[in-house]
Amino acid sequence: MTFNFAVVLKFQEALFLGLWMTLKLTLICIVLGCALGFLVALARTSKNAILRAASSVYVEFFRGTPVLVQLFWIFFCLPLILGVELSNMTSGVIALTLYMGAISSETFRASLKSVGREQLDACVALGLSHWARTTNVVLPQAVLRAAPTLLSNCVSLFKESALVSAVGMADLMFVGQNISNNTARPIEVLTIVALIYFVIAFPLTRAVTVIERRILKRLAL
Amino acid sequence: MSDTAPLVKIEGLHKSYGGVVKVLQGLDIEMKAGDRVVVIGPSGGGKSTLLRVLMGLEQIDGGSIVFGGKPYISANGNGKTAIDAKVRRSIGMVFQHYTLFPHLDVIGNLILAPMKVRGEKKAEAEARAMALLTRFGLAQKAKSYPAQLSGGQKQRVAIARALMLDPKLMLFDEVTSALDPELVAEVEQVILQLAKQQMPMVIVTHDMWFAKNIASRVIFCAGGVVVEDGPPEQVLGSPREERTREFIERVFHIKH
Repeated sequence: MTFNFAVVLKFQEALFLGLWMTLKLTLICIVLGCALGFLVALARTSKNAILRAASSVYVEFFRGTPVLVQLFWIFFCLPLILGVELSNMTSGVIALTLYMGAISSETFRASLKSVGREQLDACVALGLSHWARTTNVVLPQAVLRAAPTLLSNCVSLFKESALVSAVGMADLMFVGQNISNNTARPIEVLTIVALIYFVIAFPLTRAVTVIERRILKRLAL
Repeated sequence: MSDTAPLVKIEGLHKSYGGVVKVLQGLDIEMKAGDRVVVIGPSGGGKSTLLRVLMGLEQIDGGSIVFGGKPYISANGNGKTAIDAKVRRSIGMVFQHYTLFPHLDVIGNLILAPMKVRGEKKAEAEARAMALLTRFGLAQKAKSYPAQLSGGQKQRVAIARALMLDPKLMLFDEVTSALDPELVAEVEQVILQLAKQQMPMVIVTHDMWFAKNIASRVIFCAGGVVVEDGPPEQVLGSPREERTREFIERVFHIKH
């Protein structure tokens, strides 16, 4: 068996475009998913029973089903129910945002809970308004505490995003698969694709450790 | 406010947890502007709860508090507690466990409330903060984070943070109880310094030496009521009430 990695070089432009799609999709879904996750975390700790119930159902459902099934459902079923055409980019964004929202809401919930009663007492004693308390004390502490787990969530999302190739989105995985089919060189092409994912994900997982060691230790959070 | 009007007037204060555990059972205290009150008594006797109520951190079941002649806290009958947030701002509190904001450095801890509550400019608040830190021997710690400080330093920062709002009354809730013995003095020195400047204060402490040195008045609180109230020499030295005497003997017995 002989390997010919030069084959991959011929398609580097296509792979770059695929990678760009993967990164774009991941970044959009990180931003939207974190915002959603934070709101859901607030809803899950809300005094309103309906908000609490609805948010719990959402989180448990999305944590308890495969992302691939969620993606297929949004891609094939949602357009039928809504009676609108959804581009595969749109359904990809919806599906991964909902996935990211569900896992990051749990992260935010835990970190919000970790801001102790005593911190709130101190805020009241200093006369801080509810708003000032939330934005200047609770939120920064919650976000800092959530940072390592949140970054892990982002790495998961980046990797899970390969699933959108199954609905025909031209991401890195999709492009790789096509090249591998056309060239009959699956080992070379898919190995390179895996390495590209790894080269991006690995520094991020290392960053998680650095954040935990340096920042959180310095602040004793 | 005339000189004779009380700074704080607590009347018939009742407080229970869940209606079952009765912590305060009709507490009356009148405090003048020059008073430095030390509250002593057995645990569960209501000392810390009294401070927390005074700070507006707790709901009450009955009674009222007037501060500087203005209605401050009252139980309005239907289980709700009315707290005047404006009046509350003239009271500062320091807690047993420091409660500094861990994500802000020392100066950040000091200037947050002045900027957010009083709308003070950052530069102005920082200048005042530095002056206070210098006075407390903490100037070189301005850029440190709470986790990098010793317990005694943290507690002095907490005191400085409360002073940034120019309180008319300071509450100290067992502020040296969490400290290693060798760090107690530096915190007590700061409070004694404030006492010299005639800052009215209510202190809950188990440290009888400190109580004797700082108090203009000692209140012995047990079972949710004031059992004895008088000058430190009398309450600590020759208490009138049997329960006070028992408590003081026990505490000093353990201490020596």
